[in-house]
Amino acid sequence: MPHAPKLAICNVRHAFGANRVLDDVSLDIAPGEFVCILGASGCGKSTLFNAVSGLLRIDSGAITLDGTDIMGKPGYVGYMLQKDLLLPWRTALDNIVLGAALTRGVTREDRAQAADLARRYGLGEYLDHYPGAMSGGMRQRIALMRTIAAGRELMLLDEPFGALDSQTRLAMQKWLLEIWSGLKRTVLFVTHDIDEAFFLADRVVVMLPRPGRIARILHVDLPRPRDIACMASPAFMALKAEALSLLYGGPDPSASMSGAA
Amino acid sequence: MTRAHPLLVRCGFWLLAMGLVLALWQAVVMIAHVPPYIVPTPVETIAELIRHAGQSGALLWQTFSETIAGYLLGAAIGIVLAVAMSEIRLFGRLAYPALVTSQAIPIVGIAAPLVIVFGFGMTPKLIIVAWIVFFPVVVNVMDGLARVDPDQINLARLLGGSAWRTFLIVRLPACLGPLFSGLKIGASYAVTGAVIGEWTASSKMGLGTYLLSANAQMNTVGVYGAMMLMTLIGVGSFSALVGLEYMATPWTHRSTAPRWLTRLRGAPRSDHKE
Repeated sequence: MPHAPKLAICNVRHAFGANRVLDDVSLDIAPGEFVCILGASGCGKSTLFNAVSGLLRIDSGAITLDGTDIMGKPGYVGYMLQKDLLLPWRTALDNIVLGAALTRGVTREDRAQAADLARRYGLGEYLDHYPGAMSGGMRQRIALMRTIAAGRELMLLDEPFGALDSQTRLAMQKWLLEIWSGLKRTVLFVTHDIDEAFFLADRVVVMLPRPGRIARILHVDLPRPRDIACMASPAFMALKAEALSLLYGGPDPSASMSGAA
Repeated sequence: MTRAHPLLVRCGFWLLAMGLVLALWQAVVMIAHVPPYIVPTPVETIAELIRHAGQSGALLWQTFSETIAGYLLGAAIGIVLAVAMSEIRLFGRLAYPALVTSQAIPIVGIAAPLVIVFGFGMTPKLIIVAWIVFFPVVVNVMDGLARVDPDQINLARLLGGSAWRTFLIVRLPACLGPLFSGLKIGASYAVTGAVIGEWTASSKMGLGTYLLSANAQMNTVGVYGAMMLMTLIGVGSFSALVGLEYMATPWTHRSTAPRWLTRLRGAPRSDHKE
């Protein structure tokens, strides 16, 4: 890797009782990189996510951001879930500036910047809308704007589009890539959707359950900017086939693991 | 395309419902030829109230001021207690049984000892009204605080929110709905508290004391008039709360923030589609 890693996850282990959810997970993420963690439920991806966010203290291992230990310390990374968690009594704009409201109070400048950001990414019409009046896709866009406005260089996204219908999800994925390429932030994106992972990521980390571990890291060398059409390309298909065989077993000459089903 | 404001429509139904009750009352009394010293008609009752408008107004004001002062006291105590009980867990566990017990004591039973302690002034009446009002407020607000999504709290932590700001910005507004439910329940009971207070302790004539003396003098129209005015206080405060709730929670019935609110805060407004 050309740079020192933005995020370094070293030998992370964690168990809930007798259940080993993370077993020796190590992963470095470069600045500006887009990494997807792909796995079925129970593979520990959400545990890993909570560990990196600082909400969960892991049993052993190290997690550093720009060399600083961030274990058990919330507030260093941006964070977004499948639930948009917008506050219904705040307008879209007020939800975007929530980070400032919670830390030091919102200034006129915060609002102006948030409005600029929202306008740049096509949300200008919704600034003074309440979340209750917006569609699921629109709400997730506002939630992402809130994450961006919080100003963290690393953003964790945990299945942010999981609750959306497939049409909206595709539009959201394209929109996210557009934002990511404009902002140069580092993204760690958790998903169980194979297409989503390869469409978005520079690298896809395939995880397996019981115990949660990394099966393989796949490099996605598809040119950017990516279009929906690339999802039908042979390179995409080859990656998808490899992920499928890793996740569900089956014929894979290079597979080091036994075909777990 | 002028459509009636939803609040106006609600008001209309209220007035219609009350009008129907009064009309039914009038009709029954007239058809059954009930003599006025047993049950007067609403028309007679209202006419009598208007004839003695000065006295009616004074009585109404006395009882209304007791009700509203006790109500505000009870509501404030309720909110503070609910927050304290939710935030300080040990206090909450100790205080909850005490609160429930306080409501099990018949309110008339509380009135007498209060008079012994505080005399015949305003104080015992305030305490009685507050005693009735604070309970639904505590229970509802505590419920609201307990139901805030833990993920929402986690998000606030990850955004670097201090405990105090998280409370103000995330948890407290989430209780607004339950708070108003508690306040509305309290509003309909508050007058009863004031009247019971007057019955046990009064130095000044209010609707409750007047009702007793009118009853003793076989002044049936006076009894019904007092009753009507008491009802007016209850219904009036309930309606005022409905209006206040409507104003305080614009997101429950609007898709966008009211213009005055965004302007007040200097927030940029939405772009408009051409």
